[in-house]
Amino acid sequence: MLTYIARRILFMVPITLAISLVTFIIIQLPPGDFVTALSAQASENNEQIDPETLAALRERYGFDQPIIVQYWKWITNIVFHGDFGQSFEWNRPVSELIWDRLGLTLVVSLATLIFVWILAFPIGIYSAVRQYSWGDYIATFIGFIGLAVPNFLLALVLMYVTSRFMGANVGGLFSAEYANADWSWGRVGDLLNHLWVPVIVLGTGGTAALIRIMRANLLDELKKPYVELARARGLSETYLLLKYPVRVALNPFVSTLGWILPTLVSGAVVTAIVLSLPTTGPLLLNALFAQDMYLAGAFILLLSILTLIGTLVSDILLAWLDPRIRYE
Amino acid sequence: MTYQPRPIAGVRKLVPMSGALALALSFALSPAMAQSYSEAPMLADQVAAGNLSPLDQRLPATPLVVEPLESVGTYGGTWRQAMRGGSDNLLERTIGYTRLARWNREWTEVVPDVAESVSVNDDATEFTFTLREGHHWSDGEPFTSADIMFWYEDVLMNTDITPSVPSWLRSGDNPVVVSAPDEKTVVFTFSDPNALFLFNMATVRGSDILAGSPRHWLEEFHADHNADADAIAREAGAADWVQHFASKIQGPHARWRDEGRPVLDPWMLTEPYDGSGQVVAVRNPYYHKVDTDGQQLPYIDEVTYGVFEDRQAVILAAINGEIDFQNRHIETTDARPLIVQNRDQGNYDLWIAQPAWSNAMMIMLNQTHKDPVLREIFNNRDFRVGLSHAVNRQELNQIIHAGTSRPWQAAPRPDTALFNEELASQYTAFDLELANQHLDRVLPERDSEGFRLRPDGERLSFNINALTSRQFQIDSLELIKSYWAQVGVEMNVAPVERSLSETLRQNNDHDANVWIGGGGYDMLGLLDPKWYFPFEWQSSYASAWGIWVQNPNDPNAEEPDAAALRQLELYRQLQATPDLDGQLNLMREILAITQEEFRVIGTVMEPDRVGIVNRDLRNVPRSMPNTFFYMTPGPAAAEQFYYAN
Repeated sequence: MLTYIARRILFMVPITLAISLVTFIIIQLPPGDFVTALSAQASENNEQIDPETLAALRERYGFDQPIIVQYWKWITNIVFHGDFGQSFEWNRPVSELIWDRLGLTLVVSLATLIFVWILAFPIGIYSAVRQYSWGDYIATFIGFIGLAVPNFLLALVLMYVTSRFMGANVGGLFSAEYANADWSWGRVGDLLNHLWVPVIVLGTGGTAALIRIMRANLLDELKKPYVELARARGLSETYLLLKYPVRVALNPFVSTLGWILPTLVSGAVVTAIVLSLPTTGPLLLNALFAQDMYLAGAFILLLSILTLIGTLVSDILLAWLDPRIRYE
Repeated sequence: MTYQPRPIAGVRKLVPMSGALALALSFALSPAMAQSYSEAPMLADQVAAGNLSPLDQRLPATPLVVEPLESVGTYGGTWRQAMRGGSDNLLERTIGYTRLARWNREWTEVVPDVAESVSVNDDATEFTFTLREGHHWSDGEPFTSADIMFWYEDVLMNTDITPSVPSWLRSGDNPVVVSAPDEKTVVFTFSDPNALFLFNMATVRGSDILAGSPRHWLEEFHADHNADADAIAREAGAADWVQHFASKIQGPHARWRDEGRPVLDPWMLTEPYDGSGQVVAVRNPYYHKVDTDGQQLPYIDEVTYGVFEDRQAVILAAINGEIDFQNRHIETTDARPLIVQNRDQGNYDLWIAQPAWSNAMMIMLNQTHKDPVLREIFNNRDFRVGLSHAVNRQELNQIIHAGTSRPWQAAPRPDTALFNEELASQYTAFDLELANQHLDRVLPERDSEGFRLRPDGERLSFNINALTSRQFQIDSLELIKSYWAQVGVEMNVAPVERSLSETLRQNNDHDANVWIGGGGYDMLGLLDPKWYFPFEWQSSYASAWGIWVQNPNDPNAEEPDAAALRQLELYRQLQATPDLDGQLNLMREILAITQEEFRVIGTVMEPDRVGIVNRDLRNVPRSMPNTFFYMTPGPAAAEQFYYAN
């Protein structure tokens, strides 16, 4: 097991380097660069930046150099100095911007994850065990609606309804008075007060999907002979259910657990934009639009590395959970 | 609607029509009388506590006396607004509209602001600004001509920071020369007449000067003044001191990323626009303006900006009563019913934001197309006239603009000095027969599906690019596509992202594109003539010619035709003509040629928009021009807004 993990980690080094190169090429692919985006922004107001100024800006930011030279500077600064460069748009170091928002992103994502699991596991198990009961039909009905309604639409409807009929604004994670405040119990309370909206909006789709997967997996397992055997041996229904079929049905969750890491950073961009959440998603999208390449590049690199780590973690967990897995 | 729009007239008409009104509305400059001044309670408290020097030491010897729009106000309150994303220019327009000299409220002239007075010599080559004795930055440091000289010598003339001097600060081929004969006087000297200099200063361009002036604060980041500037820059994540220094002063957002930056604005940032939450600004205790009762402005204590990502969220904030005065982000046609419907819930009234654009959507076929066949077709005036007659403008107005607009070519708006009835209305009649007559003269042959064939036998088909951020133009084009199919012309709508659109136009690589039309108001027509003749690469009906005007050596540049060259020559004369009447006369000559050439197909006039204003907020104009060139709502003078309750 340990050699397996060590080998996997060793493989990650060249893969990460390859990813960093691809990342850099990807962020260079759209036509133009940050200076073009700056100029386009002026054009939208019918303003214009002098062509000479644009050329000078390109030179200042080093966009006039060959891609490979730019890449080398970027990657060596990251590897040797931990320096992700400066965000052109915000005039701030990239790492500072990302760390600022990562904390709140983790809070939202983890709260959503817990919400989803708390809701989906019991309902999923119930739906399978009591298949075709009234409860199952209701859970299925609501589940399909949850699957079908896009999150951002749900967010918009929720915002409109609360605003129209409750006179409250549900955007953001903080009230105006706490938005820039230092952390205090009041601010934590304010956060919890706002957190339920994104958690519900982000959670419905996931909950619905998880209920369906749990139900389908468990239905397969429940019909297998080992369940029959356990029952024949006189085990209590709850005990045998949780001890055997549920454990097997958990497999797909664990193997997809790795994907949760990257979505913690990039997940639900559109919803975060609609709800004006101060999370990383909108920052990434804006960086891509503005062609703020070091900020965008840092994000994509971070996402790729998190995916690698996540995959490793889920492989290890799967191996630990399911004795049938072999290390070859 | 509670308020009727007051038409904002053009230069010529407004002055005689409303002499008394203009007097009542405009800033009055009065000599320093032996008057006692008073200050906001929050500042008086700080003075009493010994944290702030007394008011008479903070105000300049001759403060600017502002005549309030309606009434003298009282202190207090917060002005709440909403911005979107990381690069909103709302700060620049609202609390950042401070210049040496700036637009008056009516947009008819430039009036002194930070400068006590401005004088111009007869041939518009020398502009003398007299500063105020005892003027201070918001941190209490003195503001003198040495600050402007820092901007001139260490920013504008430093080729690392400013590799090329912007065109409004040049005349002929030479950059401006600035000198400071004494502490209170700054002289801008041009080698050739630069008649539009003050107008340009009043637009967004002019903010660079004061942004680069706080010497005592900027020196720390400048290598000529601080040997450690490079180290400070790297600490902040920048590559070198030049990049770091430039990031503090250049571009529309640079000024808003730092806390504690000294300003001359009515409010100063306490929570900067750095992506971490809402933006907050509080009153500048050293602000140089007082009202007619001697109360130091601004009246409002604090300005806050919620930072949203989505436009819908801003609209919701507005109808919830969380915005006190704003038009940006909430003025689109689709949001209007919601905004109007929820006036009581949000406790606001409406005001009219009159667009300074000539047209909601100009169609610009690239008459300098790289493909010679398309170029020849687009260059044929009959082709453009035929297409113009084939556009059902009434239907466009009803479907896209809910009937709030009217058919219009790319022409100055009614009630302006430059208004030209013929230019505005020619070829706007929807007449398919007439359209076919014109088109038959250009492309008589059609294929089996009824589409017209090019001279080389292929079906004529071209793309029109529209910005993805302007959905209403994409929708309009879809309608126009169906109109033009009726006369046998195949057009495809191509939504493009703005950076791509930029690249295509800069390289003259587009078939055609649509844009919102500038030049609806007189001042805008004078300052931004690119839609009336090829003047910049943005003149995308003839990009290659526009590129030539900017740089004849560009690989995509081509010398314009005689008519365009004549217009350029007239505009060069205009730039050297000091008086407004002379400038307007020359502009009329330019427009006469524009009418004859008919290079751009207009659709409908950009309709009036509405903004919202808290019902308790006073001294707010109920109608104002709306454009980045006017810096809406900057000249409305937010420093004299106040809350009645």
